Order: sequence, then C-alpha cells, then structure tokens
Amino acid sequence: MALQNLKDFHRPGAVEEVLALLSENDEALVLAGGTFIRGLEARGLLNGLETLVDIRRLGLDTIRVDADGIEAGATATLAKLQRVVAAQNAAWLGGLADALDCPPLQIRNTATLGGCLAASCPFFDIPTALVALDTEITIRGSDGERRLPLPELFFGLFANALEPGELITGLSIPHAAGHSAGAFGKLGAHANVLAIVNVAVQLTVDGGLCSAACVALGGGVADTVVRSPAAEAILTGSKLDPAALAAAGEAVAGDIQPLSDHQASAEYRRAVAKVMTRRTLERAVARLA
Amino acid sequence: MKQMISLEVNGEAHELAVEKNATLLRVLRDQLGLNGPKRGCDSGGCGCCTVHVDGQAVYSCMCYALSYDGASITTAEGLAVDGELHPLQTSFIEAGAVQCGYCTCGMMMAAKQLLDECPRPDEEQIRQGISGNLCRCTGYAKIVEAVKMASER
Ligand SMILES: Cc1cc2nc3c(=O)[nH]c(=O)nc-3n(C[C@H](O)[C@H](O)[C@H](O)COP(=O)(O)OP(=O)(O)OC[C@H]3O[C@@H](n4cnc5c(N)ncnc54)[C@H](O)[C@@H]3O)c2cc1C
Ligand code: FES
Ligand code: FES
Repeated sequence: MALQNLKDFHRPGAVEEVLALLSENDEALVLAGGTFIRGLEARGLLNGLETLVDIRRLGLDTIRVDADGIEAGATATLAKLQRVVAAQNAAWLGGLADALDCPPLQIRNTATLGGCLAASCPFFDIPTALVALDTEITIRGSDGERRLPLPELFFGLFANALEPGELITGLSIPHAAGHSAGAFGKLGAHANVLAIVNVAVQLTVDGGLCSAACVALGGGVADTVVRSPAAEAILTGSKLDPAALAAAGEAVAGDIQPLSDHQASAEYRRAVAKVMTRRTLERAVARLA
Repeated sequence: MKQMISLEVNGEAHELAVEKNATLLRVLRDQLGLNGPKRGCDSGGCGCCTVHVDGQAVYSCMCYALSYDGASITTAEGLAVDGELHPLQTSFIEAGAVQCGYCTCGMMMAAKQLLDECPRPDEEQIRQGISGNLCRCTGYAKIVEAVKMASER
C-alpha cells in the first residue's frame, strides 16, 4: 500500500486556510482531482508523504464567459470547461475543444484545470492548447496575488515555477481579437495514452493576410510545452497558403529539443513534429473559412 | 486513525470510518462488499472501477474516499430498479458483450453517462464514450452493439 505514512488529510473551506497549511508545512501536497497524484502514488513516489490538502471545497470551480474571454477557477474540471467551450461553438476556441476531447470521460470528470497545469507534464494536451491561447494564471501566496503567462509556469520536466506555499487559483483565456481560429493535433499510440507529439495553433487573419500566429508544441518535443517563434514568424504576414504552412512545419524543428523515451526517439519526435504542425495549421486554416 | 464520512451508495445512506489513504474503490469493495467496480490497474488505466459520483462517471481507484464525503455514488449494482434490469444490462446479455466480465460493470457505467447525455449516439460517439475502458477479451464490437441496442430500448 502506498501513502502508508499519510497522517493528515485536510479539507479546508477557504483559500487563507490552504495558504496557512502550506506555509506551516512545506512538505504538504495540494490535492485537486488526484488523477496525477494517484499515478505518482502507484509508482511508489509518495511513500513518505504525510499531509494532503484537498482544495476542492474552496468554491474555485466556477467558469465565467464574457466578451473578454473565459475566466475559470483552478478546481473546475476538464468536463466543465468542455461543456462551456462546446456551448460557445467558436472557431477561436477550436484548438481547446480538440484538446479537451483527448482524455477519457472519467478523467475529464475528475481532473482539474489547476492540476493539469501545475503537474507541468509536457505530455498532457490541454496545457499545449492553453499556451496557444495566451492563457494567464492567477497565483495566490502569503504575499498576495500575482499573474503569470502560462509558459512561464512550466519550469522544467514535472517542475513548475510556483514558490513554496503558492496555489494556482484560476486562469484567464483572453478572447482572441479579430477573425481567429485554433486547432490542436495529437499523435499518440492509442486513445488512452500520453502524446508523443502534440501541437496547438492559433491563427488570426486580417484582409487576407495572417496578422497573428501562435504555434505551441508539447508531448516531449522539449522538457516543457514550447512555442515556435520561427514558425510564427513565417506565418505572420503570409497568405497562409500551402507553401507557408509547409515552411512553418519545417521551421519548428529548430525550436524544439525532443526527448527520447519508451514511446518514441528524439529523431522520430522531430520528424513528426513537422508533419503534425503542418496538418494542425491546415485544420485551423479550414476553420477560418 | 480512521475518519468518518457519509456516502449515499445506490440510494442507501452509509456512515463509514475510512482510512485516510483509502480510495473510493477500496471502500466500495472492501467495506461495502460491492464487487461491481473491479480493481484492475488501480491507477487510472483500465476503467473497470468506473462508478458514478453525482451522475458523472469516474475511476473510483483515482478518488481518495475522504474527498467524497457527502457524495452520491452509483455502482453497477444500482443499475437495476426493483429487480428489473437496466436496458444496458439486458443489451449486454443479449448482444453477448460479456466474455470474462471483468470490464463489464465499468463499461456499463461509462455507457450510462453517454446515454444519459446523448440518448441516440452513433458508433463514433459510443467508441469515444467508452474510450476510457479496456476490454482484454477484445469484445469491443459486441460492446458497441450492446450500447447501440440499449439506446434503442
Ligand atoms: C488515464 C489517464 C488519461 C489521461 N489522458 C490525458 C489526455 O489525453 N490529455 C491530457 O491532457 N491529459 C491526460 N491525462 C492527464 C490529466 O489531465 C491530469 O492527470 C490531470 O489534469 C491532473 O489534474 P488533477 O486535478 O487530477 O491533479 P492532481 O493529481 O490533484 O494534482 C496534480 C499536481 O498539481 C498540484 N496541484 C493541483 N492543483 C493545484 C493548484 N490549484 N495549485 C498548485 N498546485 C496544484 C498537485 O499538488 C500535484 O502535484 C490523463 C490522465 C490519466 C490518469
Ligand atoms: S482500476 Fe481504476 S482504472 Fe483500472
Ligand atoms: S469481457 Fe473480459 S475484459 Fe472485457
């Protein structure tokens, strides 16, 4: 049995209580949906853990949509965001909708947005889609509140940039300006598996030319989700014609440092990252029509 | 030290003393004797522990029981009403969608949420709805057929 040393299981009702518990005990672990934590436990990585702080009684599970975009609490589930995104049925949210289709039903119903991001796992899909949407997170600590653009949260493989005692309380997805569409693509061995490569793109057009482009890649193309400035530079100002999409696909190779693991070699990831980028761009362009 | 929680399981209220590290799956099987939810991988990879929490399908092996104090749980045992089998159960029998049966209860609970939200799913939607559930007897064709059949009852 794992977690054999667990002594305290807290279920606080206020953020201040969570912050107090975390500042008293820097070994305490925040528990949200628990789907990542249970995986760590099953691998025997939490045998010494003594304190869990469940944050799902804080009322941080609301999602609000308005003209400025989407504001979601950290403990809103993936399923809840999926329902909100489906109801919007908007091209600019196309990439997020695609990514939210990936995890199985049971995970969507349990996993939270804050947990999905704090895990800093480059093989997850939703973080890649949120990076392409310029998502910002809100963090609370004993010194107050701060905001962070999403890529800066990802510090390294399974390492986030939170200070000890800090909590993600929510995230904001700004409404894409102008005529914008997104798409997301995942290469995985089968439905219930982590990505070998995933790509999320966001394209905005104005007068037939691409006025803004974001290309984000995950799934082990680096230690964290990364953006590809080279691909974005090729797309911006282009007509988004097949040659530009192909060139952008080729360009991502220079912005990634792929990992080799049991799923795929670095060379394979590099090769498929180019193809996946081009195909995902094609999907986004189709949605702009 | 155990901690007390209350759970409503298949319509019945329970006050339970549970270990701090216990999963919902462990409480359902080992404390309440409900063997519908199965312990397969015990870490989120197979789906045979699927139950509903407040109407939503979850892997009960991924849930710490203490987090679910006050929740309403439905297991496969709760599908039949007054001895009358649920359409999913009848269809799984008629379609021959059960071989060893280890995945069956989890499959039905995943399919139940699908049918609750989408009463007439097409094959693609059915396959998507049960994508978090593995069947090692490779009975997917008949499982999909059974869910389709249940949707038509
Ligand atoms: C079978 C399976 C299939 C999956 N498939 C996919 C998939 O296809 N695509 C995909 O993108 N993902 C997939 N996932 C991953 C899933 O999205 C994550 O496990 C989940 O989002 C983690 O969220 P959680 O709420 O369960 O986090 P938890 O397990 O509760 O926590 C994760 C980590 O974040 C910390 N944490 C949690 N909340 C906060 C917070 N608010 N502030 C600070 N720290 C916090 C915790 O301490 C812990 O370290 C899958 C997982 C499983 C088990
Ligand atoms: S036992 Fe829960 S998913 Fe396998
Ligand atoms: S019937 Fe044996 S695992 Fe599905």
